[in-house]
Amino acid sequence: MAREKVGALVIMLFSIAYGSMALKIPLSFLAQNEFFTSRTMPYALAVLGIVIALMILVMPTADPEGKRSLKEETRGMDWKTAILLVIGMIIYGLVMKWLGFMISSILFLLGGFYVLGERRIKRMLLASIPLVILLWFVMSSLLGVYIAPGEIFYILGVI
Amino acid sequence: MWDGMINGMLTGISTTMIPMNICMVLFGCFMGSLIGMLPGLGPITAVALMIPVTYGLEPSTGMVLLAGVYYGAIFGGSTSSILINAPGEAATVATALDGYPLARQGYPGKALAVAAYASFSGGTISVIMLMFFAPMLASVATSFQSADYFALMILGLTAVSAFAGRGGVLKALLMVVLGLMLATVGTDQTSGVQRFTFGSLELLDGIEFLLLAMATFALTEALSIVLKRDESSDSLKPKMIGFKSLKVTKEEFKQIGPTIGRSSLLGFVIGVLPGAGATLGSFMAYGMERNLAKPEEREKFGKGSLRGLAAPEAGNNAASSGSFVPLLCLGIPGSGTTAVMLGALIAYGIEPGPRMFTESPEVFWGVIMSMYLGNIFLLILNLPLIPYFARLLAIPRNLMVPMILFFSLMGVYLVTFNDFDILMMVLFCVAAMALRLMNFPMAPLLLGFILGGLMEDNLRRALLIYDESLSFMWERPLTLGINLATLFVLFFPMIRSYIASRRNNVKKVT
Repeated sequence: MAREKVGALVIMLFSIAYGSMALKIPLSFLAQNEFFTSRTMPYALAVLGIVIALMILVMPTADPEGKRSLKEETRGMDWKTAILLVIGMIIYGLVMKWLGFMISSILFLLGGFYVLGERRIKRMLLASIPLVILLWFVMSSLLGVYIAPGEIFYILGVI
Repeated sequence: MWDGMINGMLTGISTTMIPMNICMVLFGCFMGSLIGMLPGLGPITAVALMIPVTYGLEPSTGMVLLAGVYYGAIFGGSTSSILINAPGEAATVATALDGYPLARQGYPGKALAVAAYASFSGGTISVIMLMFFAPMLASVATSFQSADYFALMILGLTAVSAFAGRGGVLKALLMVVLGLMLATVGTDQTSGVQRFTFGSLELLDGIEFLLLAMATFALTEALSIVLKRDESSDSLKPKMIGFKSLKVTKEEFKQIGPTIGRSSLLGFVIGVLPGAGATLGSFMAYGMERNLAKPEEREKFGKGSLRGLAAPEAGNNAASSGSFVPLLCLGIPGSGTTAVMLGALIAYGIEPGPRMFTESPEVFWGVIMSMYLGNIFLLILNLPLIPYFARLLAIPRNLMVPMILFFSLMGVYLVTFNDFDILMMVLFCVAAMALRLMNFPMAPLLLGFILGGLMEDNLRRALLIYDESLSFMWERPLTLGINLATLFVLFFPMIRSYIASRRNNVKKVT
């Protein structure tokens, strides 16, 4: 299956799910008699999404790069590193509240450098710690933005 | 009209000449050049990355900064195109066609200098035209009603899709629809009803546009560098450019002068069209120049022709200034980058559209007048700093990629202070990456998302005015005119390919 058809199929399923969820948008008694309600636009978009996706699925592929399948397109890609970076971002989002901006950011950068193959500790530290401290300084001292410390500091009784 | 224009220009000059704004133009051009130069990162990413910096600033200062970042990034992209054949984005692909061969022949400095002069001239000519056309269009647009706005937004969204190229129209349209769907998430402003929030408090205000812009562009660009094992930046030898090599002779200036003039005019006109943008501007300018060249000169195109380098550079810079016309006058972005800037304008609390011309003249004229200064700064910055800027390209990707990810995540977190947003960004980034691999464009999605709310409001208002009838689509002459333009834009690629195939058939028969 050509890669664009896979995409169209996914978006068509998404449009169907979106349309069915639009049915559940609550409407007041008065709104039910109106011509244009909160559901109107979502309905129209769901129908449009399904129709356009169907057209892509049915019509012949006009991919200028040839009818490449998703498998061909993704062959030889560095999935492992990309997935590790995505996991790193998720962990970063989860620990930010607990470790605070500085520690979590430094750890994220160090982890990112490591995942991408950097092994020189000095270079890694020099590229991460000053950058995070500088950003923190600019935000909190120069722009006056309050960046809350991590919960861990309260738990440990440091603050 | 002239009085209004002169007053506006004076307002613009006084806004631009505030020391803070001068610094911001300089900073914007510098950062734009720097970010745009990094392989894989284009002006959309550059502008999105800089938006968090502007949140504490006055709207006029913020827009002046973002405009500087925009044309700085366009210019920065050409540097990586010329030096390492790695265009930062589609608008600088045409630059690489002759710029890279010139660099390979041992003239990287000359190629960069020609690109700088062409960009400067293209940008300046375009700004002069912008100064005259924008107020005229804005004053006409004040008579626009909700019906016309709704039609105009459909025209803008359709145009972005129509220019998507062969096989891309339906995919771009589908992405527009997807963007419009995402725009419906949150509380409906008119009825107060929650839509697609799944009971989450974080989604009550809808999806933050900056979050979507960062996730679909900055994060996916960075991940794409990793996935495709793009190590182009690691292969550059930055010491190859010296100051002396930046010299351009009188004869060479004579050769590229008319090219720059023609390409700038064409670029501006293309930039004004909603959806066309800098990419089309650069390719059309290149194509036009190639067609106009004598056969012996045409032979040199693609092999290091100075005219072939100057044309797309002047064209893309002129088009990027031209794309401010629909943004400033109608509140309708003509490209992905101006869509991000429209989002920023809304975030500053400014209602985009023709009323901006009278209600926020300091923003309207400040942006226009700052472009003069920005173009001069770009030339001053880029010529002497090219050898140093080029060294940035040598930053290994194992340091560059995590930093891009970090700045993107931080850009959103330091605005919202919500760790849920980081997780949502990752989710959108993964989805956007998958769609990109399936060859679906991201700019129409962003455009649909930004215009979604405005479109729904205008449609609702138009239906109220016209007694819940869609007759305004054909009864109101202006709306009908815009709708006809939409149909033309939508079917133009089909008509063109039909004519081309007929011509080919005729040729085969004869």
